[in-house]
Amino acid sequence: MTERASLTIADGCATILLRRAEARNALDCDTIAALRRCIDAAAAECNSKRSAIRSIVLAGEGKCFCAGMDLKGVLHDAVRMGDMLRGLSSALLALRQLPVPTIARVQGAAIGGGCGLAVVCDFAITHPEAKLGYPEVDLGVCPAVVAPWLVRRIGAGPARAMLLAGGTMGGEEAAARGLVTRCVPAADLDAEVATLAARLATGGANALACTKRMLNELDGSLDEKIAAEAAELSARVIAGPEAQASLTRLYAPKPQGGPAAHPPR
Amino acid sequence: MPPASDRMTTNEQPQIISQRAGRLLTITLNDPRRRNALGTALFDQLERALDLATAPEVSDPPSVIVLGATGSAFCAGFDLEACVQDAALLPTFVDRLGRLTARIRALPAVVVARVQGAALAGGCALVMSCDIVHASADATFGYPVHRIGVSPAVNVPVLLATAGLGAARRIALSGEIITARQAESLGMVQSVHADERTLHAAVAALAESLCTKGPHALRTTKAWLNQVDGTDAAGFLGAAATRAVQATIDVCRTAESRSMLESFWQQRRSRS
Repeated sequence: MTERASLTIADGCATILLRRAEARNALDCDTIAALRRCIDAAAAECNSKRSAIRSIVLAGEGKCFCAGMDLKGVLHDAVRMGDMLRGLSSALLALRQLPVPTIARVQGAAIGGGCGLAVVCDFAITHPEAKLGYPEVDLGVCPAVVAPWLVRRIGAGPARAMLLAGGTMGGEEAAARGLVTRCVPAADLDAEVATLAARLATGGANALACTKRMLNELDGSLDEKIAAEAAELSARVIAGPEAQASLTRLYAPKPQGGPAAHPPR
Repeated sequence: MPPASDRMTTNEQPQIISQRAGRLLTITLNDPRRRNALGTALFDQLERALDLATAPEVSDPPSVIVLGATGSAFCAGFDLEACVQDAALLPTFVDRLGRLTARIRALPAVVVARVQGAALAGGCALVMSCDIVHASADATFGYPVHRIGVSPAVNVPVLLATAGLGAARRIALSGEIITARQAESLGMVQSVHADERTLHAAVAALAESLCTKGPHALRTTKAWLNQVDGTDAAGFLGAAATRAVQATIDVCRTAESRSMLESFWQQRRSRS
């Protein structure tokens, strides 16, 4: 099996790339573990004296940034599912604490935990055709792990309405509601990310690191307790009968020629 | 002999209409003549509607509640005429409003506010305690209560959670009345609709969609959001809300408040 996430560094910009394109970069245990190794490697690199990294881009290989959590393999295994949610929650915390600005390059889809990845980054750029959002409650799942990050991003009132209503939205609405920083034509996505990374590189590295650290302190981003509690809560809800029933339906083998199982909108 | 509020409902139009349809409960403020002002009967009936729907012995509590109103205004605040007549009522209303808004926040059901016209002072407080707010373009929001010597402190903690520090400060201190569009840009309203017809249609669609979602997931998510934003009883803002009720009551009992309320009411009467 190829490594499910990679870290490359070029011209002062590091890229963490999710590499599970065949599953729309859905986050299973291996992918979360690989992502975490990349985040830790990037952090170590940034903290080394000779670091030239001025920004980090988080991206997904293929058509989609990240389709969300892949619970299929752990649905009936409460222990591994708990590990997986703790792994995601702690990876989000580590991603937030990277000492340089982070940019999510969101193409295609950023759903549930995938949207969580985009929202934890300091900047997120998408295109109008992309689908973003948190349809967790549609499936009987509680978006506990991503909720605190969304609250920090768009405020508690709007986050409450978005998470309770579920569903997904297009790139333009995501920009209007503050989920992402910008929505540009799909063809311009790479250029927009490169322009932002170049602009960030013109700022003082210490100044940016200090600013980010201050923001993280002030908005509660360093709260490990809430991140840990969120993972436990989410795991408990998934283990419950309501979520088990709807996820079992979702992951059931699709009949030949029949309609594909989609989360309800 | 039935309690006073029961007598009132049998003799008069009910001030609250409560309708249950499957997992949805619709509660409608129904005193349009007085712009749904919060008075003793309306508080009584609203509390009773919530009691009936959420009592522990209810086997199928609603998972979604729509809070709406009939008439040109959602709710124009306290029944000030009653407060002028009986000085003890204003602090009582503040206390009841504080309890009611805390209760709505803590309800296991997702509460959607459907707002047309004025949602001011206590009316705005009711709306801010809801989880999702839809409004028609003519809706207005704010706490224009300093002019009657009253503080909106009772609702500041939840306003702070909803709108953020800067906006909460501006709205609570200025007494400014803002439009639905302005409220939307501040995060106090999620969706603004052209008129009441489209507002009703959009809220009906939202309620229907919410009813299809996992009730356990919705309940847990709401409770978790209350914990994350600190508005649950144990949280920073939940605890502040309890103190805010007392602080607001203290203000209502001052001579300043009393005389400002009376002169406000005289001016209003002489205008009309």
